[in-house]
Amino acid sequence: MAYSQDTIISYKKRVLESVEVDLLASYYSQDGDNAAVTGGIGTEELTDLASSIVVSIPLNDDAILKIDANVSAYTSASSSNVDAFDTEGQAADPFVASSGASGSDQWVNGVIAYSHSSDDRNNIWGANVSVSKEYDYFSIGFGGNYTHLFNQKNTEVSISGNVYFDQWKLIYPEEIRESFSEDLASNVIIDENGNILARKGLPTDKRNSYALGFGFSQILSKRAQGSLSLDLVQQEGLLSTPFQRVYLADPDLPDRIYGNGFQFADDIERLPSSRFKVAIGGRLNYYLNEVFVLRSYLRYYQDNWGITSYTASLEVPIKLGDFFTLYPSYRYYTQTKADYFYKANDALSTDAFYTSDYDLSSFNAGEFGFGVSYTDIFTKVKLLGYGLKSINAKASYYNRSSSLSYFMVSGGLKFVQD
Amino acid sequence: MKKLLILLIALGFLSSCAVVKEYEKVNINDPDMALGDKSIKRFETSAQAYREAASGANGGKTGGGCGCN
Repeated sequence: MAYSQDTIISYKKRVLESVEVDLLASYYSQDGDNAAVTGGIGTEELTDLASSIVVSIPLNDDAILKIDANVSAYTSASSSNVDAFDTEGQAADPFVASSGASGSDQWVNGVIAYSHSSDDRNNIWGANVSVSKEYDYFSIGFGGNYTHLFNQKNTEVSISGNVYFDQWKLIYPEEIRESFSEDLASNVIIDENGNILARKGLPTDKRNSYALGFGFSQILSKRAQGSLSLDLVQQEGLLSTPFQRVYLADPDLPDRIYGNGFQFADDIERLPSSRFKVAIGGRLNYYLNEVFVLRSYLRYYQDNWGITSYTASLEVPIKLGDFFTLYPSYRYYTQTKADYFYKANDALSTDAFYTSDYDLSSFNAGEFGFGVSYTDIFTKVKLLGYGLKSINAKASYYNRSSSLSYFMVSGGLKFVQD
Repeated sequence: MKKLLILLIALGFLSSCAVVKEYEKVNINDPDMALGDKSIKRFETSAQAYREAASGANGGKTGGGCGCN
């Protein structure tokens, strides 16, 4: 076949050559002594088993459809104590799980995402829809994103937007469930004998979240590249958890303690119905040599609840030949407390907002991680028409200055269609 | 905070570096040089989003859709 001299034949590389399947799973175990469900005093023992399957399908040379399905099943001692009185023969105890149905639940989530690349691969746009479900919670989300590459694909800028519409089922602590009224001037009504006559019901069971993200990445040299990202998030509606107890410090309010030190709720957590968050993150990766790579990350976060936080992490992949890589890592995190955080028996009923959720307290945390991966670019191991491309495993240990710690192992298999 | 901002701004100015050609990107294209996280990191990122007040700017959830903060 002959072509004239000015005929240019160009071939597009497919954005994804064949179907890829990721099978992922994790086991998580945490413990601590500051459960929010029992007002900041009580066991935080929790275990979670999670699994995900992610299927990426090339629709044509330019487009990819990604289906991401997730299931997470947990058992939580503190959640079981939403109703601490239902265990036959066992006195209520904030440090012991009850047999309540709220002690376990499943989170189910699905995301479908579509992305399309231009012929020169310099413009990529995408859209996604997501659905999540728990016993007391349902969410639907929509998002879109656009990425532009230029400077011979050395520079990349991106913008993304996501909205989530969450619907909650309001579940209050068992012992005060009947005491909520719609129209009260204050959070709690206390009579002259220190009895709480009524509590103000939560005004909404909906939460809307609006997120806007900007990204910038740059190849800095033949061995280094970095990125900056900025996330702006506005949340409105129910931002508190209805079954998290608060113990108040009002002098005329007696502590009502039952069983083995279990204290009746004075009120529930109260938080503002609006929150604005800003997070700025930076990554810098450096290819040291054929054995070592340095992967660093920094983040600054601030919100209008008074929380400021810093995150720093470093991971050093160590290549052991063509197939195996080790991934030691360390992450440090620190945050200031929310304006509305009080330890048990510190807040007053006259405060508009209060919580004893230690996730909103001031703390530092360190996390050690160690991972290993096996990669076979020739996919020699076959299963049902798919070749095994990689195996990944990681263990991590997290320790927080507020007594909470967790241990986690996760693993993943990646297959590609032959 | 100031140091972090200076570092981030400096990274932005580095975009004026010499362009790296496609055939010179052998090291940049190493999978461990990717600017995103590996897929199994999603569980760790999710746990952090539940146990910490901060979220976002890390490819994970920013609030909503997860029942977390």
